[in-house]
Amino acid sequence: MRKSILFLSLLVALSLVLAACGPTPAAPTVAPPPTEAPTKAAPPTEAPTKAPEKVTITWWHIQTAEDQKALWQKLADDYMTAHPNVTIEITVMENEAFKAKMTTVMQSGNPPDLFQSWGGGVMNEYAKAGMLKDITADLDKDGWRDTFSPGALGVYSFQEKNYGVPRDMGMVGFWYNKDLFAKAGIQEPPKTWTELLDDVKKLKDAGITPIAVGGKDKWPGAFWWEYLAVRIGGKAAFDAAYSRTGAFTDAPFVDAGKKLQELVALEPFQDGFLGATWGDEATLMGNSKAAMDLMGQWAPGTFADNSVDKKGLGDKAGWFPFPTVEGGAGDPADALGGGNGFVVGKNAPPEAVDFLKFISSVDSQREQAKIGLSVPVVKGAEDALTDPLLKIVQQGAAAAKYFQLYYDQAMPPAVGSVVNDSVQGLFAGTLTPEQAAQAVEDSAQQEIK
Amino acid sequence: MVTTYLHRSSIWRKNLPRFFQYLILSLFVLIVFVPIVMLVFGALKTRGEFMTRPYTPPIPPRWENYAKILGMPSFWIMLRNSLVVMLATTTGVVFACSLAAFVFARMEFRGKGLAFNFLTLGLMFPLTIAIMPVYLVIRQIGLTNNLWGVIVVQIAFQLSGNILILRGFFMAIPVELQDAAYIDGCSAFDFFWRILLPLARPALSAVAALAMVASWNELLVPLVMIDKDKLWTLPLGTMQFQGQYGQDLALVAAFVTLSAVPAIIFYLFAERQIVSGLTAGALKG
Amino acid sequence: METASASEDVLDSPRQTRSPRRVQDNLTIVLFLLPALVLFLTFVVYPILQSLYYSLFNWKGFGPAVDFVALDNFKRILTDRIFMKAVGNGLLIVVLSLTLQLPLSLALALMVGRDLPGRAFFRTIFFMPYVFSEVITAIMWLILYNPDPERGFINAVLILIPGVKPQPWLGSPAQVMGCLFVVLTWKYFGLHMLLYMAGLQNIPQEIEEAARIDGANRGQLIRYITLPLLSSTIRTSVYLSVLGSLQVFALVWIMTLGGPVNASEVMATYMYRFGFVRFWLGYGSAVAIVMLLISLAFSLTYQRLVRQPDYLSGI
Repeated sequence: MRKSILFLSLLVALSLVLAACGPTPAAPTVAPPPTEAPTKAAPPTEAPTKAPEKVTITWWHIQTAEDQKALWQKLADDYMTAHPNVTIEITVMENEAFKAKMTTVMQSGNPPDLFQSWGGGVMNEYAKAGMLKDITADLDKDGWRDTFSPGALGVYSFQEKNYGVPRDMGMVGFWYNKDLFAKAGIQEPPKTWTELLDDVKKLKDAGITPIAVGGKDKWPGAFWWEYLAVRIGGKAAFDAAYSRTGAFTDAPFVDAGKKLQELVALEPFQDGFLGATWGDEATLMGNSKAAMDLMGQWAPGTFADNSVDKKGLGDKAGWFPFPTVEGGAGDPADALGGGNGFVVGKNAPPEAVDFLKFISSVDSQREQAKIGLSVPVVKGAEDALTDPLLKIVQQGAAAAKYFQLYYDQAMPPAVGSVVNDSVQGLFAGTLTPEQAAQAVEDSAQQEIK
Repeated sequence: MVTTYLHRSSIWRKNLPRFFQYLILSLFVLIVFVPIVMLVFGALKTRGEFMTRPYTPPIPPRWENYAKILGMPSFWIMLRNSLVVMLATTTGVVFACSLAAFVFARMEFRGKGLAFNFLTLGLMFPLTIAIMPVYLVIRQIGLTNNLWGVIVVQIAFQLSGNILILRGFFMAIPVELQDAAYIDGCSAFDFFWRILLPLARPALSAVAALAMVASWNELLVPLVMIDKDKLWTLPLGTMQFQGQYGQDLALVAAFVTLSAVPAIIFYLFAERQIVSGLTAGALKG
Repeated sequence: METASASEDVLDSPRQTRSPRRVQDNLTIVLFLLPALVLFLTFVVYPILQSLYYSLFNWKGFGPAVDFVALDNFKRILTDRIFMKAVGNGLLIVVLSLTLQLPLSLALALMVGRDLPGRAFFRTIFFMPYVFSEVITAIMWLILYNPDPERGFINAVLILIPGVKPQPWLGSPAQVMGCLFVVLTWKYFGLHMLLYMAGLQNIPQEIEEAARIDGANRGQLIRYITLPLLSSTIRTSVYLSVLGSLQVFALVWIMTLGGPVNASEVMATYMYRFGFVRFWLGYGSAVAIVMLLISLAFSLTYQRLVRQPDYLSGI
């Protein structure tokens, strides 16, 4: 009994101390910097001569890698120094956690002022629900609009209105380890699907894990199916299916599944791939435990961040585009990809848009390009790319006539998640290509009206 | 009694060598400890060491991970949130349950049986099943993103079980005591406050201990009710931390170990209470 | 016994005139029951009723529910392959618990018996996992189950055996449920062992004595004396175990998210995914109702089968 009393009093004392150090739970919201309240009351058009009120901008991004996190912080600090009345509150989240958080945030109707977005159908839903701020007018002012490459900017617009700006646009391709390829006796990266399968066999024979994939997160695997559809069916197939004149059960999509099955049958992935996350996938690549990875332009940064020595593949890294599929209707230059950008929340103060301008300036883009954070979308910043591979990615993306945004961003979220789930089924062998295509089609019928 | 003891143990020894028993028991002790030890070892390594030699003892032990976590204000905020929620929940549970249990144990009124059955129906609506509708109600009241939302829900769902336990204990208090008190002019409330509660202290601390453990470890309620990271409780924060830093296993291990420390300390202090609370139901009359 | 009659007088006077004592008692009853009742009605009863309402709608959570679909949600649930898998997995855990985990706990409790030296030590150690949160347990085991033998302890030890390859564990649709069950057992076997140990304490030594004098060997002792006398404890343990198995959430969600490809889906993860990830609140409410019915069905069947009143009935 005495022990319990002692413990209990310790507890009470501890909680009193901690309570004194922080906000009380009774407050409906934990007290943010006291400047939050006046922000919301600030009228949207403020005469520039008025003494600037204190403003807080909430900014959510997903760059957890140390150097990338630091760059964003530096840019925010620079802006805050130049604008002492502005406080920028950064929240860094991991990819999956961010996606989860966004659903609840949209439900509560209180989006952050500036946040990560991949554009496309998901962003469109937010816009439809009135969660985003229309910045079309801001873009038209002072020629801000013209600094961006139009294709990239278009991804962040919906029904002729702009809701955000891109900072990065690239394409998905194969990142591979040149040393491991050499070890397996592969002279050149594969150009056709058959060559790819051959190379996989060669790597296996050499005792090397051919491909790293994050099955648990699902979207890394979805890239494979989507790219096969791009190569087999080309622009026509997707356009037809998406506009509902065709269907996702059309031949190209089923064939994509069949080709994927061929690959899966070779067992080219790492052990336990169905339970691996994108982080695990990147760790494997970063530590040279797997030969290739079909991934977007953010790959090298994450490879490095997740590797033991924080250096990643360094100059062992190579890049090649998705191989062509014999008999496919797609153009070899077609690209599956996407990018990253920031959209503006409906409650954002005008300072948020101004800050957005700041981080999309040419100088800021150059800094981002230098550390491989962004493949720039602002004209004049491309030459700052130090990584020659990222230069190739950027050129490939710019040159593509048919640029397909990843399905789970291009289409409404419900369809996107069905795509990801169904492809996971193909990887696990629990769904046939026909069933997978049918599932996507059913969802599209329901959601795309 | 000594002869009985020797008689029994010789029987045991004939049938199952004590050595063999201890062997099996030790094996299980090992199984219990291995994951915990792995975690502690991992926390004392650097990220690189964890990746290259994950399951050897850390020599020398590296304290940077612990230092880093203890230096993160968010860790302390989470700790505080968990503490606040736990204390409020436990107080609420003990308060509401002892009051209600007293009525069911010691007072009569029409419909008592019905009311009691009604309350124990709650045992069949566990939190995991009810969380969705409860979330909707909390949202309607406007208590989302508020620690009070978590607190009231936790209290509400611990009512049925604890009322049952306390009622059992209260019924065991001799009726004569109550009669004597009434004769002396005590009201029911007086009896409850001055006589019953002090006598029932072991039962109350058992209930309190159970409520504390349940509340401290609760994930689902805070996960669903709370968005703002400043209001995260420790389990929620641990999950998010692992999601964010998943690849830095050493850091994650450090976080997890640190968040387990309060539970362990509490367990060592209050083991007896927790055990007696849990076995209250198993010990039938 | 003047005292007794006086108290009976007081306690049995519901129909007498309102003595001051009676009023005071009634007041006490009402006041005392109020906190519990208010909380219970608001947060347990009302939500269930409300979800009955919402389950009949197709509702994304914004604004009022307008898309009335009657029993459509329920039809979808009962024809959804994934939900069936979730129910199946729930049953799997129940069966595994009853056939493996509970007997294990019982065996250990019997082994420790009443007087084994070090008994308290074993109890403390075995019960410890119960005190860790499911989150901590999940993360711990996530690290252990890593399929890369250089990072996951289990595979590292496994490949020491010649000829054995590293296993995918949580990445294998076939193995994942087994892996999860191991973790569940690790966490909860101490609890059940504790219950059995307490139950064993209650068995009067004289009965065992008598049986032994009559020449019963250990097996017969267990079978004819110990187990029957433990029956109420066993029943409690079974009840807790089944209900617990049907509700497992955090462990599964953190370790596998219900995957891979829904192989480890359980009812709680199913409901969470549809209700809170996709925000199909109407559908999620329907799932909650179905889960409730299943759980209710179990409880009622259990009461009926067991027939003896134990502490779970309202008497």
